[in-house]
Amino acid sequence: MIFQILLIAFALFAITITTKQYRLRKVSLYWFISWTLLWTIVIVVALIPQATDPIAQLVGIERGADLLVYVAIVVLSYGLYRVLVRLEKVQKEITQVVRQVAINKAEKSKGHE
Amino acid sequence: MTIVAVIPAYNEQSRVAEAVRDALLYVNYAVVVDDCSSDQTSKNALDAGAIVLRHMLNRGQGASLQTGTDYALENLKADIIVHFDADGQMQGSDIQELIKPILDNRADIVLGSRFLGDSIKMPLSRKLVLKLGMLFTLCISGIKLTDTHCGFRALSKKSAKDIVITRDRMAHASEILDLIKVYGLRFVECPVTIKYSPEVLAKGQSSWGALVIVKDMLKSKFLDV
Ligand SMILES: Nc1nc2c(ncn2[C@@H]2O[C@H](COP(=O)(O)OP(=O)(O)O)[C@@H](O)[C@H]2O)c(=O)[nH]1
Ligand SMILES: [Mg+2]
Repeated sequence: MIFQILLIAFALFAITITTKQYRLRKVSLYWFISWTLLWTIVIVVALIPQATDPIAQLVGIERGADLLVYVAIVVLSYGLYRVLVRLEKVQKEITQVVRQVAINKAEKSKGHE
Repeated sequence: MTIVAVIPAYNEQSRVAEAVRDALLYVNYAVVVDDCSSDQTSKNALDAGAIVLRHMLNRGQGASLQTGTDYALENLKADIIVHFDADGQMQGSDIQELIKPILDNRADIVLGSRFLGDSIKMPLSRKLVLKLGMLFTLCISGIKLTDTHCGFRALSKKSAKDIVITRDRMAHASEILDLIKVYGLRFVECPVTIKYSPEVLAKGQSSWGALVIVKDMLKSKFLDV
């Protein structure tokens, strides 16, 4: 019971934050919709956990809660992968900038050449 | 014929000047890439007659080699690029033999080998790690070499343009081998003498660094976009 309340509270919190950020144009509409949708689902499931059982059984998993955990792990892994790829890209861009500055400011000692 | 030594350096104030002077006996320009050192590396390199490129953040040895190479090709119109270390482990006098296959148009890239030459006081543990590296490279890149991770190399203008290093840290040596294969570059190995003094071993890569290289390689296989 306590866990359910906490979960719902957190979901509402997450939705509020996203809405605020969307209003300030800090996140895209796409991001706003998918994020809100995700947390709405969380709220629904928290309120009526049995609701997901039929869906779970459809794919051969007994309980809806289990299905959610599996899906969450997959989604999180994918998210992490995306972040890592992105990080790698940012690293490469930093290198490009650092390189360009270094080349533009090349120093030669006087007396040589 | 313009020959340029590209010398990555990170906190090498005590040794870089010596390395620059040694290299300059055999090349037209020495380009030191100071990778955000916190000591006098830049100044000492400059005083010794090098051209100094300064990274304002540490980007690693691979990134530095690429920075130096870009500069050498664009601004110095280099015909041959030599990768040379700032820590005094390499001998400038080996450069003559190293660039010969390129001058004779027998190769596009010449890789120094510590096992064909004399590696003065190479510890046994290092020897074993390097042999493993050789096997690993044979499996992954399909190139058979006696020494896969020697930093002493000479590249023709063509191969320097083809080989664009994107692995900023230490996995660039493996990347170079991959690219040799990809572009079908002609390569030969050339014996070089690398000195292993206690000072060098204290500051240089530990043999554990090999694990980091493997990690970096695997990472780039998965994450490259
Ligand atoms: N630019 C740059 N050079 C580095 C870095 N780490 C090491 N080096 C330089 O790369 C060369 C070889 O490094 P070292 O640690 O001795 O590697 P080892 O000789 O393979 O054991 C030396 O000239 C170092 O100064 C780095 O983070 N950035
Ligand atoms: Mg060294």
